[in-house]
Amino acid sequence: MARLTVEHVARIEGHGNISVDVADGVVRDIHMDIVEPARFFESMVCGRRFDEAPLITSRICGICSPNHVVTSIKAMEAALGVEVSERTKLLRKLLVYGSYLQNHATHLYILAAPDYVGLPSVFPLAESAPELVVRALRLKKLGNDLTTATGGRQVHPVTAVVGGFTSEPEADILAGFRDKLLGVVEDALSTVELFASFQVPEFATSGEMLALTADDDYAIYDGDTTALDAGWRRPAGEYRSFIHEDVVGHSNAKHATVDGRTFLVGSVARIDINAGKLNDAGRRGLSLSGVALTTRNPFHMNVLQAVELADASARCAGYIERLLEMGGSSRPVQFHIRAGEGGGATEAPRGTLYHSYAVDDDGIIVRGDVITPTAQNLANLEADMRAFAPTVVDREQSEFTTLVEELVRSYDPCLSCSVH
Amino acid sequence: MAPRVVVLSLASDFGCQVQITNMTDQILDVLGVIDLTYWQLATSGHLPAEYDVAIIEGAATTDEHVALLKKVRETAAAVVAIGSCANIGGVPAMAREGDLEERYATVYGGAAVAVGRIMPRPIDAVIDVDYRVPGGPIDTPEFLRVLSKVLQGLKDDTPDKTMCASCKLNETVCFFDQGQVCLGLVTRSGCAARCPSLGRPCTGCRGVAPDANLGSAREILVRYGQDPDELDRLLRIYNTSREVPV
Repeated sequence: MARLTVEHVARIEGHGNISVDVADGVVRDIHMDIVEPARFFESMVCGRRFDEAPLITSRICGICSPNHVVTSIKAMEAALGVEVSERTKLLRKLLVYGSYLQNHATHLYILAAPDYVGLPSVFPLAESAPELVVRALRLKKLGNDLTTATGGRQVHPVTAVVGGFTSEPEADILAGFRDKLLGVVEDALSTVELFASFQVPEFATSGEMLALTADDDYAIYDGDTTALDAGWRRPAGEYRSFIHEDVVGHSNAKHATVDGRTFLVGSVARIDINAGKLNDAGRRGLSLSGVALTTRNPFHMNVLQAVELADASARCAGYIERLLEMGGSSRPVQFHIRAGEGGGATEAPRGTLYHSYAVDDDGIIVRGDVITPTAQNLANLEADMRAFAPTVVDREQSEFTTLVEELVRSYDPCLSCSVH
Repeated sequence: MAPRVVVLSLASDFGCQVQITNMTDQILDVLGVIDLTYWQLATSGHLPAEYDVAIIEGAATTDEHVALLKKVRETAAAVVAIGSCANIGGVPAMAREGDLEERYATVYGGAAVAVGRIMPRPIDAVIDVDYRVPGGPIDTPEFLRVLSKVLQGLKDDTPDKTMCASCKLNETVCFFDQGQVCLGLVTRSGCAARCPSLGRPCTGCRGVAPDANLGSAREILVRYGQDPDELDRLLRIYNTSREVPV
């Protein structure tokens, strides 16, 4: 075995190759080449009108498009000094969580699970384990339906705009979702049990952990950025002052560091930092997962996404309860267009997503900046690959590459996002 | 023998492929009538040497994409372009406007990057396309309708008309009457004017309809007191490929 290449790693979003250089049983070099062409979103928004940023940047990612829409809107509202209603905030949380249900279900069942049942795809399971496929599709469908109800469609939602929503679901439709969401908590807990039953390698990342934290919620929409080891908490909108990005030779995606260290975002970081904010369903899930609170194992991303599914289902039912009681309006608020700069963040299914913009007096965008979760994770993923590969280099070649691919898939990378 | 189907993606956000996974009520039935031989997003394995139907998402952007498309055209009996990027260039083709070198400088600070220069363009700028599912992203019911046509060997019948009649059917109040510019008056119909029915003017993700009259559309903007250049400015989100040739 000398140079090994896994071209177009399967069951991830986007195109990437793994290159490994092995000599005499020693891993000399290993990296993840992102072969997605550069996409230039940060320059394409320049010269466009402020309200077009969510529409354009949403096309960075068809998988977490609700997050791009909401994050872009938040950054633009920070730049323009727009305050939105509590009702709007709750609806935005539902929109983002719809994306979580859809994404986590897709990642867990369609992209990751085949690794652990020894199949090339999930589809053969439709015959051998139909209940599992039906459960997967039920969770995914509910996520899609929730995104469609709040955002107008499941991919690239349209109703969320700077200031509020152009349309929102009727009360009886919302009430229907509350019941359906409570109805899938058990599905989510079964998903935790399923992924807890899969053997994953013992491994610990050496990277820092970053996630949003809020005082009153499991942060996905609001909150500051917290660094677990360094112990700091900083305003997320000022991310450009603490996340450092470098261009690297072998990839169209930049590599990110914080305090000079690579770092991990996503379900492991979120739960390590915010476990205390999980609701009953989430805590039950965490206990079923068997994962220690201080895990540093990126292979636990899968089972902890399942824990988040349980938490999110019950949490969204609670948001709907509040929406049904509170009244108020989500109609876009009035605001004045002025020059300004601002940033915003949300937790996307695979980690924190940051956007920031500067606009001129006419609301024309003069600077745009986006850091996607995968762009943050890539440097850490490569560091993990370098640390992990030598521990399994003595395995059969096919098992070796599968294990390295599993590590990549655990990160739930979104490569087209990473080259935005 | 069930038709052998491959799903391929070029430069895109994978959103249309996500929409295929999103046909949760029908996906198992569809898989019962086709032989899905390659789909990088959902299955392990390599693109086979032979297949009957190629479903392609994304804009042709690199030399590798062009070579792949030519090979696909030689192999597949039917090529299906799905989504804005594959059909009209879409948002990725916004990068064609202006100076590409400047874009490298803005985004990468001029540093050398791994993959060469790019030129995003619709698939039909490279090969002939047999079937189209427009939209950014595709609508799953429309995808299913087109897929059944492909499987039955029926002709593509993507509507050529613009969207205004759909708003009339929906009884949506016209955005022009509310002082806003809407691209529905030149955009290909078939989406039931979903965005206008949700309070958002059309942004043209399905492309300019073959029946559209851009000259009259500009006149309509003038009649409503709007700057006619606004029509072209808005068309430069999804439809840049129309006016900037490769």
